[in-house]
Amino acid sequence: MAIAWWQIILLTALAFWMIIDQITVGILCNYPLLIGLVAGIVMGDIKTGLVVGATLQLMVLGVGTYGGASMPDFMTGAIIGTAYAVISGKGIDFAIGLAVPVGLLMVQLDVLARFTNTFFLHRVDQRIKDNDINGVARNVVYGVFPWGISRALPVFLMLLVGNNVIQQVVKALPTWLSTGLSAAGGILPVVGIAILLRFLPTKRFISYLIIGFFAAAYLKVPMLGVALLGLAMAIIFYKQSGNNNQSDDEDNQSNTGGHENASGEYED
Amino acid sequence: MQAANMKTETERPHLTKKDLFQANWRWLWSSQICWNYERMMSTGYLFTMLPTIKKLYPDKDDRIAMMTMHNQFFNTNAYIGGFIVGMDMAIEEKKGRAAEETVAGLKAGLMGSFAGVGDTIFGVILPTIFGSIGAYMGLKGNPIGAIIWLLVNFAVLFLRFSLLPLGYTQGERLIYAAGDKLNRITDAAILLGVTVVGALIPNVVTANVPLVFKSGKVVLKAQTILNQIMPSLVPVALVALCYWLLGKKQMNSTRLIVTVLIAGIILGAFGIIGN
Repeated sequence: MAIAWWQIILLTALAFWMIIDQITVGILCNYPLLIGLVAGIVMGDIKTGLVVGATLQLMVLGVGTYGGASMPDFMTGAIIGTAYAVISGKGIDFAIGLAVPVGLLMVQLDVLARFTNTFFLHRVDQRIKDNDINGVARNVVYGVFPWGISRALPVFLMLLVGNNVIQQVVKALPTWLSTGLSAAGGILPVVGIAILLRFLPTKRFISYLIIGFFAAAYLKVPMLGVALLGLAMAIIFYKQSGNNNQSDDEDNQSNTGGHENASGEYED
Repeated sequence: MQAANMKTETERPHLTKKDLFQANWRWLWSSQICWNYERMMSTGYLFTMLPTIKKLYPDKDDRIAMMTMHNQFFNTNAYIGGFIVGMDMAIEEKKGRAAEETVAGLKAGLMGSFAGVGDTIFGVILPTIFGSIGAYMGLKGNPIGAIIWLLVNFAVLFLRFSLLPLGYTQGERLIYAAGDKLNRITDAAILLGVTVVGALIPNVVTANVPLVFKSGKVVLKAQTILNQIMPSLVPVALVALCYWLLGKKQMNSTRLIVTVLIAGIILGAFGIIGN
């Protein structure tokens, strides 16, 4: 199917909004799953949007833009991937194969936007010297444009040239590549999981990683069930770590004979 | 002139609830809007403080000095950074420009630890938990997980909005009292996140080995053997391999994605790994 002009406009607006959203209210934020859902609604195929978004989401689970680091822009990837999957009718794996390189290339534009705002910073410095409060405010707000345009313009261009180019690419795609892409799509989530485990103090909490795995792989507990199990263990952990401090005080006060401590061990 | 100065000494302008709301609203929208490599969130902090500066410092030199101070390097977690703004406003309201150095020190001193706690909870743990559940359902075409996540994000938005007034009314008291509690909450949240990640591995990584070995009449399916050793053996091995690779100096997340993408295409094309 061909993409309609209003779909191009809506997806471009989504691209502009999603980056502003990420640095302000954080509703769709930098989450490909939610962007994929919205893009799927616009393209009239929610399921495709969800699956594309979910696959990309798993690749960036623990990746954040902390301290100004750029991350692969799989939000833009989710928009382009969803749109092209619906246009080409080639399915999810094709969409992922397209979204990943798009997301990686977009990192350059993120860097450019963050760099461009330095220009407004120096204009703000100048307005401060002139005691021009309104001028200061104006120049801070101008920062919206490098952010928004860095996402909206590429999406607009890619959707505009998309129709014909994509059909050609699809025809030229060899079978071995589409089988390969499909397998790659299946294992790519390991990247997000590994990055996340590197970020978290995994070695300290390794037993809980095993419990979570055991519950899902052997007991077949669904995700929400595992989250509840984790919540229960987290509450126990929180209460016990508090008790330890208190029981230290009690130890000092009642120093007569043996008693049971917070972790249930008997000591004297 | 002398009389006017005397007046501001005794009747310093007071910040009202409306001022706090205005700052809160501004912090929400502007904290990172002009983010740049040089001073990161400085412009956002300055933009948030502009109405307060206008109200507290009628004198031109004071204004310029305070605006310059607030446009110095600042970077924290935007979700909980409002608390710092609230504390700052309380101090400036009481002491005026005399607090210039105190406020600069407060901002520099708190931004790092606030970034640590905020990024861990709002940037990593919440997206891990709700992203995992949402993606797990989303892969099957079910939008409920994604919708739950949207609702959670709205709830977080309300939570964020309460932090600036909290910092204003009892900032100092809480900062000294809550250190230990905050660490325990962060640890408990990490525990929950790690548990969910453990369950994620067998659920979302699809890596079957479709190889079949034949010798005479005996047919051995590789995947059946692997399953007998342990369910999801290949996904676990792949995660371990990636985890190990990330520890290498040359490796970063972007390179790892490219590596896995190419390796996946090759292994898939030769029929070693399939869905």
